[in-house]
Amino acid sequence: MTRAMTRADGVPAAEPHAVMAAARAPATAAATALKGCVHAYRYTLRGIIGSHCRFYPSCSDYALEALSVHGAARGTLMTAKRILRCNPWNPGGYDPVPGPIPPKG
Amino acid sequence: MDQKRLFAAIALSIGILLIFDVWNRTNRPPAPPPAQVTQSAPAVPAPVPAAGAPGVGVAAPATGSEAAPAAARAPAARLEIRTPRVAGSLNLRGARLDDLVFTTYRETLAPDSPQVRLFAARDSQQPYFAQWGWTAGDGRTRVPDNDTDWTATGGPLAPGQPVTLSWDNGQGQVFEIALSIDEQYMVSAQQRVRNTGSEPASVLPWVRVRREHTPTVAGFYILHEGFTGVLGGRLREVTYSDAKSEAARRSGTALEQETTGGWAGFTDKYWLAAVMPTAPDQTLRASYRHVNEGGGAAGDRWQVDMAPPAPLTIAPGATGELATRLFAGAKEVHLLDGYMDRLNITDFDKAIDFGWFYFLVKPFFLALDWIFRMTGNFGVAILIFTVLIKAAFFPLANKAYHSMARMKVLAPKMTEIKERYKDDPQKAQAEMMALYRSEKVNPASGCLPILIQIPVFFALYKALFVTIEMRHQPFFGWIHDLSAPDPTNLFNLFGLLPFDPAQWSTFLHMPAWALIMGVTMFVQQKLNPPPPDPIQAKIFAWMPIIFTFMLASFPAGLIIYWAWNNTLSVAQQYYIMRHDRRAARAAKVNGAVSKAK
Repeated sequence: MTRAMTRADGVPAAEPHAVMAAARAPATAAATALKGCVHAYRYTLRGIIGSHCRFYPSCSDYALEALSVHGAARGTLMTAKRILRCNPWNPGGYDPVPGPIPPKG
Repeated sequence: MDQKRLFAAIALSIGILLIFDVWNRTNRPPAPPPAQVTQSAPAVPAPVPAAGAPGVGVAAPATGSEAAPAAARAPAARLEIRTPRVAGSLNLRGARLDDLVFTTYRETLAPDSPQVRLFAARDSQQPYFAQWGWTAGDGRTRVPDNDTDWTATGGPLAPGQPVTLSWDNGQGQVFEIALSIDEQYMVSAQQRVRNTGSEPASVLPWVRVRREHTPTVAGFYILHEGFTGVLGGRLREVTYSDAKSEAARRSGTALEQETTGGWAGFTDKYWLAAVMPTAPDQTLRASYRHVNEGGGAAGDRWQVDMAPPAPLTIAPGATGELATRLFAGAKEVHLLDGYMDRLNITDFDKAIDFGWFYFLVKPFFLALDWIFRMTGNFGVAILIFTVLIKAAFFPLANKAYHSMARMKVLAPKMTEIKERYKDDPQKAQAEMMALYRSEKVNPASGCLPILIQIPVFFALYKALFVTIEMRHQPFFGWIHDLSAPDPTNLFNLFGLLPFDPAQWSTFLHMPAWALIMGVTMFVQQKLNPPPPDPIQAKIFAWMPIIFTFMLASFPAGLIIYWAWNNTLSVAQQYYIMRHDRRAARAAKVNGAVSKAK
C-alpha cells in the first residue's frame, strides 16, 4: 500500500496524515475489524461490481486511512459521508482524509 | 512470490474441500431407521406452567406400565379431514392431527408423484403432528393423555362442518375440543373443560406442534428453516442446531416467551405448521423445545407449544377455555397476507423468510408474481422484472453520460496524462482526478449509486430464493423446475455418457446454465477497469470460476437471473462505452483541426 504521493501541482499529499496519526490513533479491535471488512470487500464484491469511484483516493482507500487515523467511530462516520459524496452530482476528484483534529486549548 | 503462494493456497483449499466432500459422502449415515417411538412412549415435556405453582409441570401420565394394554387395544379411531386443499385424518387416540397431505402440491414434477405430506404419525419415518391437550395444574385432576380415546360428534371435518371431540374423566370434568377448518389451511380449536364436580379443578390447556425427526434442511445460509414465530411483536427464528444447544443449557427449553397475539411453529422452505391464539389480544406463553429420547440423531424431538401463562382454575359449574388456531399449509404470500388481515395475526407473512430487506423483498415478490400471472411463465417474469430494475437504475448509474460533451474537450489532456505517467498508473489516476475536478466532469458514476444497487439486487435474489410460486415452474429448453438445480452436467457431456459424476462429489455437477453464468460474469469483468493491485487482479480473474462452481447447485431460476443480470450489465456498459468512443473520436478530430490551425 505504499504510494508516491508527492504532488507537483500543490495538492497536499495524503500520506503524512497517516504517518502522523499512526502514532496517535489507538488501533482498537473495532477499527481493525472494520478495516478487515473493507479489505474483504476489496477482494470479493469489488471484483463483481467493478470500481466506479469518482475520487482519489478511492472510497475504500479512504475508509482504510480514516479508520487508521480517526478510529472506528469517527472513521466509519467519515467513510459514510465520503460514500454519500461519491455520487454523480459531486464533481469528485482529489479528496484526502482530513488530518487528526488538534487537541483543544 | 506472493502470487505463487496465493495460487497454492487457492489450489490447496479447493483440494481440501473436494477431499472433505468425498469423505463426507462415504461417511454419511444411512437412512434413519424407523422411529422407535410407540404410542406408549413417555409423553413429551408438556408446557410447563408458571414456576412456583406446586405439583404442576407433570406430564400426562402415560407410563410404561400402560404400554401392554395400549398395544393390545383396538386400533385407534380416526376423524377424517377433507378440504379443497388438504386431506388427512386426526388420531382420536390422543387427539393428534398426525396425517395431513396437501392435495394441490406434489413432491416432484411427475404427474403420479405423491402429494406433499406435512404431518405424519408417530410410527412413520418422519413423525410430525399437532396436538391439543391439558396438564393438571393441581396434580390431581385427571387429564386426557396420549392414550385417551376421544369421541367425535360426527365427521368428516370439512369447511362448514365443525366437529367436537369429547372425553369425560369420570371425576366430574368433561373435556372438549371443538374443531373447525376453513377452505385453505387454518384449523380453529376451542379447548373446553366443563367442571360438573363439586371441587374446583385446575388445568393448563395447551396446543403444540411436535416434530419427532430432524428434517433435512437445504442448508443455505440465505434461507431459514426451523423454529419460527412472531412473539411479543418480534420475529424469533431459531435453527434446529441452535435450539439444541440452547435447550441443552436450559433443561429442554430453547426459548420461552409470553406473547400477546403472534404465532409460532416450524417452517420448512415452503411449508409451515404454526399455532397462535385466536384472539389477537390474548396473552399466551410460547416455547421452543428440544429433548432427546433414546439418544442419537434419531432421538431428537422438537416442539413448539402455546399455553396460558398460568393454569386455569375452574370453579364447580364453570367452564375453562382456550381458543387457538393451527396453520398447517403452504407459505403462499397472498394466502398468508389474507390471514394476516382477516384474522389479525401479527406479521404472519414473516413466516416467509423475507429477511432484513423485507421492505424490498416483499414488494419485489408481489411484482414478480404479478408479472408471472400476466405472462404465464415465471422464468419470463424474472427476465422482465430484472430489466425493469436495471432500467430504473440506468439514469443514476449513467448520469456521467451527460458530461460527455465536456469530456470531448478533455480527451487530448487525458491522453497527454496517460502518456506522461505510462509507468505509474496510480499517479496517472491522481492527475486525471485533479483534471476532472478542475473541469467539473467525471466519467465514473460513483460508489453510492453502485452500493445502493447491492441491496436491491440482493432483495430480488432473496425473493427468488424463498418464493413458493417458483416451485415446479418451467422455463425454456431443459429447465422444467426453476426451483431445482439445472439437471444438465458438463462432466457427463450433458448426458452423452451413461453415468452421473455428481454422485461422487457435488463438485462434479456443472450444469449448462452455470457455465453460461460464468461466461457472462467473465465478460462483465473484462469491461470493468482492472484493479490497480496485482493480487486483487489475480483473484478477480478467478472469481467467475469460483462463482460458477459455487452457484452450480443453486436453483436454476437464480442462476438464470444472475446470468441475465450480468448480460444486461454488459449491454448497458457496451452502450455507454460506444458513446464514449464516439465522443473520443469527435474530440480527436477537433484536436487535429485546432493543431492544423
